[in-house]
Amino acid sequence: MNASARARLDLLDPTEVARLGGIEVVTEGIVEGFLTGLHRSPRRGFSVEFAEHRAYQPGDEVRYIDWKLLARNDRLYVKQFEEETNLRAMIVADISKSMGWSGDPAARLTKLEYVKRLIAAICLVLLRQRDATGLITFDDEVRAVTPPRARMGHWHQLLGVLHRTEAGQKTAADSALRLVIDQLRRRGLVIFVSDLLLDRELTIKALRFLHHRGHQVLVLHVMDPSEITLGGPAEARFEDPETGEAVTVRPADWASVYSKTVEGVVHDWRVACRRHRIFYERITTDTPFGLALRQALVRSTHVA
Amino acid sequence: MTFALPWALVGLVLAGIPILLHLLARREPPTVLFPATRYLANAAKEHQRRLRLQHLLLLLIRTLLVVALVLAAAGPSWPTAGLGAHAPTALVLIVDNSLSSGVIRGGEPALNAMREAARHVLRRAEPEDRLWLVDADLAPIAGDRTKLLGRIDSMVPSIRRLDLGVAVALGREILSSGDQPGEITLVSDLQRTAISGAAISTPMVVLRPADEPAANGGLSSLTLGSQPWGPDGGTVGLTVAGRGDAARPVTVTAGGRAPRQLLVRAGGQGSTRIVGLAPGWGQVGAVLDPDELRADDARRVAVRVSPPAPTSWRNEDRFLATAAEVLRQNGRIVAGTEVSLGSLGSGASIVMPPADLATLGALNRALAAKGSRWRFGDLDLTPTATDSGPWLGRHRVVRRHRLVFQGGAPTDVLVTIGGEPWAVRSGRILLLGSRLDPEWTTLPLAAGFLPFVDGLVNRGARGDLAYLAAAPGDRILLPDRVTEVGSGPERWTVEGGAPFRPLQAGVYFLLAGRDTVGTLSVNPDPRESDLTRATDAEITGLWSRARVADLSQAAATAFRAGARSDLRGPLLWLAVALGLVEILLASGRRKRA
Repeated sequence: MNASARARLDLLDPTEVARLGGIEVVTEGIVEGFLTGLHRSPRRGFSVEFAEHRAYQPGDEVRYIDWKLLARNDRLYVKQFEEETNLRAMIVADISKSMGWSGDPAARLTKLEYVKRLIAAICLVLLRQRDATGLITFDDEVRAVTPPRARMGHWHQLLGVLHRTEAGQKTAADSALRLVIDQLRRRGLVIFVSDLLLDRELTIKALRFLHHRGHQVLVLHVMDPSEITLGGPAEARFEDPETGEAVTVRPADWASVYSKTVEGVVHDWRVACRRHRIFYERITTDTPFGLALRQALVRSTHVA
Repeated sequence: MTFALPWALVGLVLAGIPILLHLLARREPPTVLFPATRYLANAAKEHQRRLRLQHLLLLLIRTLLVVALVLAAAGPSWPTAGLGAHAPTALVLIVDNSLSSGVIRGGEPALNAMREAARHVLRRAEPEDRLWLVDADLAPIAGDRTKLLGRIDSMVPSIRRLDLGVAVALGREILSSGDQPGEITLVSDLQRTAISGAAISTPMVVLRPADEPAANGGLSSLTLGSQPWGPDGGTVGLTVAGRGDAARPVTVTAGGRAPRQLLVRAGGQGSTRIVGLAPGWGQVGAVLDPDELRADDARRVAVRVSPPAPTSWRNEDRFLATAAEVLRQNGRIVAGTEVSLGSLGSGASIVMPPADLATLGALNRALAAKGSRWRFGDLDLTPTATDSGPWLGRHRVVRRHRLVFQGGAPTDVLVTIGGEPWAVRSGRILLLGSRLDPEWTTLPLAAGFLPFVDGLVNRGARGDLAYLAAAPGDRILLPDRVTEVGSGPERWTVEGGAPFRPLQAGVYFLLAGRDTVGTLSVNPDPRESDLTRATDAEITGLWSRARVADLSQAAATAFRAGARSDLRGPLLWLAVALGLVEILLASGRRKRA
């Protein structure tokens, strides 16, 4: 991976980025590129109680640079404050069978592969800011729980979990979301990553409960572009890999109607989330990771 | 609708292509795993019906598009009514000037209105049209408009009947030889009795009067019974056709006798006896009081009054002698030698087999010497009976000689027994298979014996005369021996056995050399008297391609076959419109897709 590529991996096509190396490597590249592109740190601490120094990252606010240390050591450090490390984030990731699907496997990552890299990047960004970050994966039941930790070494643990994650079976998010209550004792950030092919009412109810518990909740709705625009052969029998439900249609006839239906679904999710002060972002698997990160972390920054 | 290139219609099978593609596209589709199927299912639930309708509409439009293009390629044209120009057309104009057309309506013959309608039709003719005029004579006249208009001007009601089915078939035959679009226009009073079925494939216009037909009465028959009449005369029978209860006066005239008046109810029969006519040929006529149709109010037939035949008989032929005596006393015969009754004589003879078989050979030789082609054969003792026929009824026969014909097919067989000849004639010689004796046959004891003997003498032996009847225009087969036909001063030479076609009503005498061998009484066809009009439904039922209209619509309905509009333009425009709609619909789908 050359320097220029490493510099802005966050803006490359996700599939191209995935081909450059393992999750760990490309995620670091993504985050570096992402942070380089920011004019200021995604997290802006304002507590007066100094906690520690850390190396300057591109995007950190200049005002937090410790100029004295710069004068002494000729190195850039920024000051970290106590409050900035208090955030606890829990990422709840959907790994159901539908997540293991790509509309164009040769050209696009599956939703799960995309989400793995995105979660890895989010975790890296959060952990670099000393935010305790945990991960829960689920399909029709909870598959893995990684409690939130703030140590940088925790990222490798999370990467290990992500490496081992395979697409599961059906989807039921409420049990996973209830588990967040146990994992986040204090108010924190919950990032719910899913294709939202699940029971909306139950899910919204669980997310609303988290919000009532004082957590900021961010829903990242991951979609494959082929799920937004219907395509395929002249006539096809479309089968849901999770439920086995099937419909035989001619995509050319149904594309318009289908797109409107999808827009309606997205709109319904957005409205339902807004009503309960839950942040909602839709991300497609062809969105460069940097932009996806920005969508996710600007929200979380705002929360902070 | 007709097509300039009918073979191009084969292309209509292409119309099946959209349907075929539709059916092929309906084969089992591939399965695609798709997580968002639930969204698709929701969309399908809401819009399935609309899209299916859209599909069917597209299918229909594409099929119609192909059909429109193929039809346009075949060059279709559609007949149009109206007074505009028309394509060159072959027109057969049938004007029904049959006897019934002479009925007076509004002070003039009904034919006048039909002639006017025919003129309207002909005035629409163009020089390129081919025209024929057919009237009751069924002799097509070809010509241009001017010539046929002249014919129409000079047309008068005929005495003949016109069978409209025959006229239409003739028109079809005329048109079948040409390559122009053909059309038949029939101008007629449409008598129900005149219509008959005819297969027609060309357009046909039937023009008929709009008013109700007159209630007509006419003489439908005039009969004289068995001829020739004797000196005591005979009975005249007649029938009056028509409707109504009122009795109508009929005047019967015969020879120089004073006219006789009869009152006969419409649909009924009347009769009167005429006596005192002089021997020879004469005429009997009957005239009905005039009504709107005069031509069917009179009939005339020929009558033959014969003098008693001079006859000889032998007293030993007991039963025959008794019968002859009775006939003599009644004036049917007189004593003489012209006819020999029972044995072979010098003149006309009625010959029975001899009682003595030994003389049979001599009798046969004498018969042959007289030129008879018949002779007596073997004696047959099988009990049997005569076949019922015009000469004789059924009578038991226990003894008979078979009658043998010398050479060729037997002719002039008067009475048969089981199909075998029993009474025959050869020239003026009549042979009977059995003696007229109760030992041979029960005939002498029967009531029919006397009329049989009378017939043998007055008709059989003196020569059988023909009393023929026909309607004007009929083809009549005359007896073989007729060489000439005469009516008044007119004479027509005919070949024996050839058909003769009298064109006028009247009495025609059939001549063989200087002898009168029969008569032909020609009177109007009684079916012409019934003026009841066929309904339009009956007409269209008989002639499926016919369009019935009033005489007043003659100009508007003529030359419908040639007045055609080219449908290629409209079809191409339709195809363009269908194509645009198809493009709009399909592009809309693609855009949405």
